[in-house]
Amino acid sequence: MASCIGPVRAVLIAACCLVAVACGGGGGGGGGGSTPPPPPPPTNNVVSVIVDEGPTSQSVNTLFTSVTVCVPGSTTNCQTIDHIQVDTGSYGLRLLAPVLTVALPVETLSSGNSLAQCTQFVDGFSWGPIALADVQIAGETAKSLPVQVIGDSRFATVPAACSGTGTAEDTVSSFGANGILGIGPFELDCGDCDTVTHGLYFACATATTCTDTTVPNAMQVPNPVTHFAADNNGSMIDLPAVAAGGAVTLSGSLIFGIDTQSNNQSGTQTVLTVDGAGELAMIFNGQTLANSFIDSGSNGIYFADSSIATCTATGLTSFYCPGNTLTLGLSIQGQNGVMVNNLTFGVGNAQTMLNANPTFNVFPQLAGQLPAGNAGTFDYGLAFFYGKRVAVAVEGNMTSVGTGPYIAF
Amino acid sequence: MPIFRSGEIKITILLSAVLIAALGPRIAGATLGEPEITVQSDVAQLRASIKNSDDRASYRVHEIQLPGGTLLREFVAPDGKVFAVAWNGPTKPNLRQALGKYFDAMVSAPKPKFADRRHLQIQQGDLVVQGSGHMRAFSGRAYLASAIPSGVNLGDLH
Repeated sequence: MASCIGPVRAVLIAACCLVAVACGGGGGGGGGGSTPPPPPPPTNNVVSVIVDEGPTSQSVNTLFTSVTVCVPGSTTNCQTIDHIQVDTGSYGLRLLAPVLTVALPVETLSSGNSLAQCTQFVDGFSWGPIALADVQIAGETAKSLPVQVIGDSRFATVPAACSGTGTAEDTVSSFGANGILGIGPFELDCGDCDTVTHGLYFACATATTCTDTTVPNAMQVPNPVTHFAADNNGSMIDLPAVAAGGAVTLSGSLIFGIDTQSNNQSGTQTVLTVDGAGELAMIFNGQTLANSFIDSGSNGIYFADSSIATCTATGLTSFYCPGNTLTLGLSIQGQNGVMVNNLTFGVGNAQTMLNANPTFNVFPQLAGQLPAGNAGTFDYGLAFFYGKRVAVAVEGNMTSVGTGPYIAF
Repeated sequence: MPIFRSGEIKITILLSAVLIAALGPRIAGATLGEPEITVQSDVAQLRASIKNSDDRASYRVHEIQLPGGTLLREFVAPDGKVFAVAWNGPTKPNLRQALGKYFDAMVSAPKPKFADRRHLQIQQGDLVVQGSGHMRAFSGRAYLASAIPSGVNLGDLH
């Protein structure tokens, strides 16, 4: 501060003031009595989110938001895309090419080859190039962010190493969204793709000759929050409670940053840290399930319990259909040992619920089975977020209550 | 009393390797529903290594370590055929390789109602494919329901 208020030239004062925000505010300014400019208004860090039927009219318990993408450097060649799924179980922004009207430049490796990705999901894969975009959500911006363009006709040939992993989800219809916003507790969608090939990133000498490659971290598809100019240490999803029987829609907020503004304070939230895959332990039916996760991208509450009847209707046989609604207990333990005890959740009869209210898209008591071979997992989906404010802190980032990767609520 | 002895495993693997070398590209590389020899084919095709081969009461398990860190397990019945495969790790394995002729049945199966990206449950005739997980942690399995040896607990196939 002392050097700031000394007899220095105006240009130096200005430079000092950039790094010392309070400079000039204490009445000692030597610049000739001009009033200091007011502090800039805080960045708008809140975007609305909604659980609705989605672009295919087939979604349940699926959270969506809108994202604006611009050609890098342009403020006019931009597009706002709705029904982007908000997913804490993946990393990175991925957009479906058929809904994209701006031409985003494809990212090029130092070899001159184009970069493409085979994104793996449990039920399939999504293939397409990595492009660069200036991304804006609420008032937050990430410049020249690597994003994936899924189903891009410029790269229509899927390499065998990618198509061999399952079913293609390269259209809005098969993907069930116009895109996906992966804001889980890590920066990158791969832990070691800079040194190991996983069949995830591909170098394309031509659009039809793509081979498995390693990629520098800076060129991989990151959680966009980590590249925002501000409020970049994580995010919070805030959703109201919903009646046990469900609702047509549910609206809430996605808030960027944790403890960076007055509207994203941790307060008394309990921090549960997660492992390198984003997992923690849940204790259910007297068993500790070490590979469990809380996930806005799961549309039900998924666990193995052979004592609960599953549904018989075609297409619903993975969901539970108990005779009466069950209330079950659950505890959650972070990797830091912190335990949240005595949570309860309801398991309704999926068939009855869906038949009773065919227009509903929000079902807090929709639960399904995991295969018996997955005895160590409890997957608590979007229903976990109903009636809560859930923070997801990104690895290596500090907040007032802990260091990511963690989940807090 | 195991139905295979460890010496036999080594001989089988050795023989398989010799046969693979002899047959060369004529082995298309299939596994589910195919003879045990295709385990070696998978290892070659997937640029992997056999980490462990284990005799259980009524079947044998070959554990294949894929270069990206994922484990692929192939379960062999006493009749010498692969009746199940299971995987676990940061990425999915090449399922066209692991499921062989059953891969197309998996891909063409109708998508169940209210599917999300974290679960897979397919039943197409004799083929059952199940999966769960998320980015950075996938697990799943595929098996032929009619080929499971008697006494095998489905929960052990992972």
